[in-house]
Amino acid sequence: MLKHWWKILAVLILLYTFTVGLLVPLGPGITAIAPQSLTTGKVVQLKIEGYNSHYASATEKSAWLKVGKNLTLPATKIEAASEQDMLLTFEIPAHFPGEKKVASASLILDNDIDGSSVKPSAVVLTQETLAPEGAALAWSTATLTGLHDKSGMNFPFRNILAETIRNTYFHVPLWFGMMILFLVSVIYSIRYLLYLQPKDDWKAVAFTRVGVLYGMLGLLTGALWAKWTWGAYWSWDIKQNMSAIAMLIYLAYFVLRGSLDDMEKQAKIGAVFNIFAFAALIPLLFVIPRLTSSLHPGNGGNPGLGSEDLDNTMRMVFYPAIIGWTLLGVWMSNLLHRMDRIKEYLFDRM
Amino acid sequence: MHLIKEVGALLRKELVLEWRLRYAISGILLYVLSTVYIVYASFVAVQPQTWNALFWIIVLFASVNAVAKSFVQESGNRQLYYYSLANPTAIILAKIIYNTGLLLLLTLLSYGAFSLVGGNPVKDYKLFFTGLFLGSVGFSITFTFISAIASKTNNSASLMAILSFPIIIPILMSLIKLNAGALRLIQDTAIWKDIMTLVAIDMILIALSLILFPFLWRD
Amino acid sequence: MLVIQPMKKKLLSLVIFQLAILQLITAQSAQPDFMRSTGKIYVVVAVIVAMFIGIIGFLVYMDKKLTKLENQIKD
Repeated sequence: MLKHWWKILAVLILLYTFTVGLLVPLGPGITAIAPQSLTTGKVVQLKIEGYNSHYASATEKSAWLKVGKNLTLPATKIEAASEQDMLLTFEIPAHFPGEKKVASASLILDNDIDGSSVKPSAVVLTQETLAPEGAALAWSTATLTGLHDKSGMNFPFRNILAETIRNTYFHVPLWFGMMILFLVSVIYSIRYLLYLQPKDDWKAVAFTRVGVLYGMLGLLTGALWAKWTWGAYWSWDIKQNMSAIAMLIYLAYFVLRGSLDDMEKQAKIGAVFNIFAFAALIPLLFVIPRLTSSLHPGNGGNPGLGSEDLDNTMRMVFYPAIIGWTLLGVWMSNLLHRMDRIKEYLFDRM
Repeated sequence: MHLIKEVGALLRKELVLEWRLRYAISGILLYVLSTVYIVYASFVAVQPQTWNALFWIIVLFASVNAVAKSFVQESGNRQLYYYSLANPTAIILAKIIYNTGLLLLLTLLSYGAFSLVGGNPVKDYKLFFTGLFLGSVGFSITFTFISAIASKTNNSASLMAILSFPIIIPILMSLIKLNAGALRLIQDTAIWKDIMTLVAIDMILIALSLILFPFLWRD
Repeated sequence: MLVIQPMKKKLLSLVIFQLAILQLITAQSAQPDFMRSTGKIYVVVAVIVAMFIGIIGFLVYMDKKLTKLENQIKD
């Protein structure tokens, strides 16, 4: 039992990942606003649709439209039809400052249960004429005070992503797991070249196999996630392309091994190619995507997995998830190379 | 010192061999010319965007063909003979240096031929030739090493393509981006980042080739 | 020519099989936006199902290999 501690750890961590990752609710968010384009100088009613919100049961409710950096306009009337539906009335003044006739405004909602939430570029404001110079404006420049904080554990609500933000604990760790498995495989390949022990080569192959399985699953789950967030299974995103190429490299590794008959040659040449291919993989997966724009977070020069993408609550699940999925991969490759060992033993006896 | 002398001797050998088997190099040169002609004949007017991609694809295929022969086309007995004489590191280094020279010649010729028939959209020559040089070095290292691996198998010709194309893609992509800068297709202030990436990839690959090759040749 | 090992063939067919099943799951829902309902939670379900099928595929592969070994021992 003691020998298997890491397998038990893998199961426990994955159990934690599944329960916490799936059960912790999403924070409140705004899913729909209608109408989206407003003209100035009128009284307008905005229909707000919320997600995981408590509009009806909240007692202290407030809402603002925000233009530019610091100009806010409070709602004059707030009626909650249900927990998810709310009607906001704004008396929009005739002008907003600036040199443009069109401006986008953010919507800020706040109540005592949900805390405050912001929908950036929620509506488009259009004014007939530019604001006359020096005229007093109805927009307030004061900073908003008395905003509530949301209490309790929540994953952040992001537009478009919504609940699929939970895929961070399933799709993303597959990639981390794959890279760790490939790295372990390379270490065993190096060991093989140094000591020429066949068991090192079996381990290298087993880790590569599970790594490829993880990579394939990563591509597949990524495609599914992309379909309902970016709009297509495959959008020729740089990271998608690169991952597909990484799979090609490792499939070539198996083809190379398959085309050699001698076991020792297979092991040695396989090990050499494995090391070379892994070195070529690093720029492929980490350097090049940073140079080009991508739909994935952490590309186009900005650091990945910053606080924008991952808040503290998510980290509490995400980091264990990486360890859990990786350990599961190690377990799977453990089974594979133990089977190879038995096969070899039987082969020698017969 | 000894290594340098060995590399020099092996380089001389490569040159002499190439001179004796002139049909090999003239075949490659002819390959480039006919590919360029075919591309021009099928596209007629080439946009700079297409020019960039086509140029590197022509260079890529010509390079694979040019480099593949470095290990694949040498008979096992002859290889054994070299290995009994020289240090494996010297052998791979000599091959890489020789192939780099060959590929530089090839890319320059492709550029000449391509600009003759397809127009010359290059604006920033310094950047363009930096790209050509780094590209030739990267192609040469990768293809030489992969051809050493592929020569150990029975179906080396197809394995050469299967093994090397996925590995060459990061280099190729950086090159196309770099050249897009040289052709002024994109305005990029951080072009040095691409250059550094290419240099880093080239360095890693050459270091690994030198370290790993001694494990390959011994059978 | 390209030699595709049986294992690779299996892996490939597994991926195609998974795609087919997931297509089926999504196509069966008459509602056009089933996958987008309830905050797109079914996308998470689909992802977990895909990973589950992948791991089951691994088990099936192991099972087959072990059966072969058992038969070898019997002989």
